[in-house]
Parts: sequence; C-alpha cells; structure tokens
Amino acid sequence: MSDLLLPTQIDLLHVSAVILLIATFGIVVRRGFSDWLHAYRYQTIILAGIVALIGFITSIWELYIVSALTLGIKAIIIPKVLFYVTKKLDSPIKLEMNPYVSLRISVIASALLVAMSYFMALQLPISSDETISVFLPVSFSLFFIGLFIIISRRKALSQIVGLLTIENGLFLFAVVVTHGFSLIIEIGLMADILVGVIVSSILLFRMSKTFDSIDIENLESLRDD
Amino acid sequence: MFTNLFSSVESVLVVSLLLTPVVSGLLITLLKRKRIIETTTIISSSLILIQGLFLLPYILEKKTISIFDGTFYLDSLSAIMIITISLVGFLASLYSVNYMGRQYDKLIVDGKKLVRYYQGFNMFLFTMLLVPVSNNLGIMWIAIEATTLVSVLLIMLYTKQGSIEASWKYLLIATVGLSLALFGIIFFYYANSVYDNSFDSTHGMDWTNMVENAHYFDPNLVKFAFIFILVGFGTKAGLAPMHTWLPDAHSEAPSPISALLSGVLLNCAFYGLLRFHIISSHSIGPEFSNTLLIILGIISLGIAAASIYFQKDVKRMLAFSSIEHMGLISVSVGFGIFLGIYGALLHVINHAVVKSLLFFSSGSISQKYQTKSIADTSGIIKTMPVTGFMFLIGGLAIIGMPPFNIFMSEFLMLSSGFSSENFLASALVILFLVVIFASFGKHLLHMVFGNPKSEMKKEDLGKLSMLPMIILVSIIFIMGIYVPEPLQTLIEDATKIILVGGINS
Repeated sequence: MSDLLLPTQIDLLHVSAVILLIATFGIVVRRGFSDWLHAYRYQTIILAGIVALIGFITSIWELYIVSALTLGIKAIIIPKVLFYVTKKLDSPIKLEMNPYVSLRISVIASALLVAMSYFMALQLPISSDETISVFLPVSFSLFFIGLFIIISRRKALSQIVGLLTIENGLFLFAVVVTHGFSLIIEIGLMADILVGVIVSSILLFRMSKTFDSIDIENLESLRDD
Repeated sequence: MFTNLFSSVESVLVVSLLLTPVVSGLLITLLKRKRIIETTTIISSSLILIQGLFLLPYILEKKTISIFDGTFYLDSLSAIMIITISLVGFLASLYSVNYMGRQYDKLIVDGKKLVRYYQGFNMFLFTMLLVPVSNNLGIMWIAIEATTLVSVLLIMLYTKQGSIEASWKYLLIATVGLSLALFGIIFFYYANSVYDNSFDSTHGMDWTNMVENAHYFDPNLVKFAFIFILVGFGTKAGLAPMHTWLPDAHSEAPSPISALLSGVLLNCAFYGLLRFHIISSHSIGPEFSNTLLIILGIISLGIAAASIYFQKDVKRMLAFSSIEHMGLISVSVGFGIFLGIYGALLHVINHAVVKSLLFFSSGSISQKYQTKSIADTSGIIKTMPVTGFMFLIGGLAIIGMPPFNIFMSEFLMLSSGFSSENFLASALVILFLVVIFASFGKHLLHMVFGNPKSEMKKEDLGKLSMLPMIILVSIIFIMGIYVPEPLQTLIEDATKIILVGGINS
C-alpha cells in the first residue's frame, strides 16, 4: 500500500501527525479547566480528520463512519458534558494551581516521552507501512502523555482529560494498525468511553460536594499502615 | 439472522440468559417500589441461575456451542464462569434484600439509591455474563470495561468519603490497565491479519479464529502483546503489583457487591487472561506465559501475606485474601500440567463460594458491631451464634483447613507444583500460605471467640440473610468431600482446552 501513496498524501500524514502532537501539548502546558477541554477538542477533531484521511488512502468506507462518530461523540458530546460539569462545580477556582510537576518540567518530560515513543515504535516487529510508521509513535506519545497528565496533576478533572488522551492514543493506534476493526466494536468502544465520561462526571460532582474541592489530595485516607 | 435464533434450544437459552438481567433492570427503572424491585431482582437472578444450569448439559454433550455465526461461543471454560457468576449472583440478590433493607431502615440509603442499587446489580450481572459468552475478543474487552463502569457506580453508592475515594482510584487504575489490554488485543489482531490475507474484519478478532491461526503468528509480536494483556487484565484480576485499587474498592462497596467483586469479577478478568494464555501457548508454546503467570502470582501471594499479617480492617483483610487466591490460581495455571490447571479451575469455583460466604457474614457482623475494625469486633459467636459459626466455617475454609473445599483445590495445585518440578515456586507458595494461615487464623479466632467489648443483645440479624449463607456452607462441605460428576467432567474439559495449547496440536 505504501508505494501507492502520492507525495502529497505522505506530506499530509506527517503534517496531521505533527498537529495532533501540538494539540496534545496544549493540554500539558495550560492550567485552566476549560483550556484543557478546548485542547482536547482540537486534538479529537484532528484525530477524526486523520481517521478520514486513512479511510481515503485505504478506501475503506467504514472509516468515514468511524470518523464521523469520533467527531460527534468525542469532539462534541464529551467536551459538552465536561464543560457542563466544570460550570456546575462548587469550587470558584477553576485552575490547576500547583501541580505535582511544574508545567515547565512537564513540557520537557512530555518531549522526552515523545522521543521514547519514537524509539519504542522502531523496536516493534510491525511492518513499515507508511501510515503505520507515521502514526504508531504518535499514538504511543498520546498514551504516555495521557499517563503523565494523570500522575502529575492534582485536580481530578485533569485526570479525566488524561484518560481521554490515553483513549485517543489507543484509538489512533487501533485505526492505524487494523484499518478499523468491525464497526460494531468501534461503536461499543465509543459507548464505553461516553458512559465512562458520564460516570466520572457523576463522581466529580460527588467529590466536590463531599470534599468541597476536586483536589485528589483528599483521596488519600484509605491505606494500610 | 433471526431464523437461526430459534433453531436450537441452546441459542434461545444463551440469548435469554443475557436478556434476563437487562429486562429486569428496565422493569426496576419503571416500577421503583421497594418490595417489587427486590422481588424482580431475585426472580431475574434465579432465572439466570436456572438458565445457566440448563445450559450445562448441552455444553457437556456438545463441548462447544457457537451461535449467530460465531458471535457467541461457549465452551467448558465459559460454562465454569457462567455457573460461578449465576450462583454468586443469585445468592447475592437474596442477601441484598436483607442487607440493603437494613441499610434502608437505618437511613443510610434512600429509595432512590435503592433503585439505583438494584439497577446496577442487574446491569453488573449482565456485563459479567457477556464476558464468557462473547467470542469476539473486542466485545469481551468492551464487556470487561463495562463491568468497571457499572461497579464504580455500585461502589460509590453510599457517597461517603471513603467510597468516593475508592471508586475514583478504581475507575482510573482499572481503565488505564484495561487500555493496556486493548493495546495487546490489537497486537494479536494485527498478528492475525498479517498471517491471514483473505481477511474479513468481523471474524479476525474471534478467539476461535485466532487459536486456529495462532501457530503462524510472529513470535516476537505475540510475546510483546501478551505482556500488554497480562498487565492489563492482571490489573483487573487483582494480580500484584497492579492490585492497589482492589482493597479499597472491595472494602468500601456494599457487602453483596463486595462478594460479587471478589468472587466473580476477578475471575472474569482472569478468564480474559486465560483466553490469551491459550492463544499465546498455541503460538509460541506455553513456557513464556507460564513463567510470567508464576512470577506475578508469587508476587501477589507475597504482598497478600504481608498485608493480611498487619491488617486492621475485616473487609480489607478479605480483599487481600482475594489477591492471595487470584495469585494462587495464576501460579497454578502457570505450572502448566493437567493437575495444576484442574486445581486452579476448581479453585475458581471454591474461592467464589467461600469468599461470598465471608463477605455476606462479615457484612451482617459489621452491621451489628457498627465497625469494620478487627480489634473492635470480637466474640461474634457469643453475640450472633449462627452468623459467627458460618463466619468461622468460611474463615477456616479460606485458609485451607482440611475438611473444606479450598483444601482440596489447594492440595491439587501444590502437588502439581511439585510434580511439574517447580520447586522454588512451590516452596514460596507454601511459605506464604503458612504466613497467611497463621495471621488470618489469629484474626479469625480473635473475632469469633474473643470477649465482646460491650454488652450486646444475643441475636442474629435477619432470617433471609441466613439462607444464602446456609446454602454456601453446605456447598463448602459437599465440595470438600467430593466434586459432583458433571462439574468434574466440565472442569476436565476446560483443562484440556487450556492444556492443548501446550502440545501445539
């Protein structure tokens, strides 16, 4: 398949991969709750574009549906739910004031994670199809950066955004490697993510009601000592 | 499609098995009255049990059932899971009526939360039943992820600080873990699609298809993928060191849900792991995955032993004991010989039965004593004679005392360790089991026979909550003496399914 690609198509692949990474860094470098959600939305819109692009290159029509679903559920509905949640939260400060890892170091760490992902992708015994070699490291980067966001931040909302970033990385990986498994699984995955976001929003509400904040420092009482 | 739906009895059974909890969940949403939703749940869970038992002879006779063009696929391994889920589910629904009823009387939950509880209970059963019947590994993953989401809602039911903390940790860790598992599944799918050029994406993810083609998979890719799967499903199955969510979640959930989480849900995740263990054994031989399973299992046993020794909270102690038993099952599957795998599968059932009994009785006990602390709970046999007796039986069974069922399976597993010449692993297992025996036994004796701290009325709580416990105690005694004939054949068949991978047939 790779030898059939036009140079412009390859350029498009590279450019879209870079934009996707930039959008992901948008989550890492910002403090505000709504900034994260905006960055997540951009990330997802680009992801949907990439899926459609791969659909065009491989001429698998199912990928267009998957792309549309991504756009509908992950770029429109999920940010809407989370925007609603942030608006309703009791705490007046909707910023990540002092994360465990400062933003400056976060950026450097994320850059290192991206480098690591490129290194990892080279080690994998997976064929060097053009789309795969472009997007495999990017999907790993999304996964690791999402993980990093989860462990380096104090606010529960940023952990949800981290999870969603992981999910996007996973999704990109799945589409690139398999060119879409059957549609029914994709729909099931989307439903799972949607329900997951709703469940975590409920938890977020409960948390802010019970602890008066969504700081995860409150969540350290259960332990064996 | 719908013409095959009613072509055979077993396809009808499988479909109605899955539909029963969904329908009952919908009914509960509509009806909302306390008595009615309780009865609906009991009826639905007993129907599930009956349907599960009716499926059994078909599976024993035909070995495999494949319906809807292979969307659902049941073999003896799935049957073991279905029997376990439906049995514990039925007993937990019986116990729920009394337990949640008392929480309702004490104003800990209101009518709205009770409706949510029973909805969640039914959906939880549905998602767990979907795991063993689906052939498509993607759908199996979706079902396992769905069990997380439903059980998070059940764990946070009381909305206390502790339960919110527990459910948040559980949601995060389990979701991240399972996303790793999905990476692994996609790797396996990729390995399959590279081999099979005439590839149609609907069946490429089927377990049956993968096992057939497994021999041609790229060995490096399989190793890589299996590690992802092991970490992913291992997180959900409570294998150390990915177990950190488990003690919190299992101790903060309402007791009937704790029983389902410990007794059944862990096994569902382990079932997923087993399916990939089989594929990987077919592909690169069993040594690789066996070694990994043994290592993770030993770590789990070690961590559980240390934590049980220092434990102060009854339900956390039981949760760590679940980690111990999942570790034991994993080690014993890893030994890779017939005896060990047979013992492990028997242990899946035995552990589910005993752990449910312990969670049920400790639920009643902590309701009476109003505490979960081990130190403050003493002299149960004097204040609640019947419950105390059953807690004692459950406790003695779980640490592996001879006349009870766990002793049987633990004996099988250990002797398989020696006959497969894994001496170091077996020695470590024995060491940790002895530590757990001593420390769990000490806590148990203190709780059952100590002197009650304050004057308490000598009274057992709730007649209806006794019924499931009595059923469980009798199962413990019976399974301690002999394993019924059909069950024996079932486990033997399932063992062969896992073991065939070893011979690369």
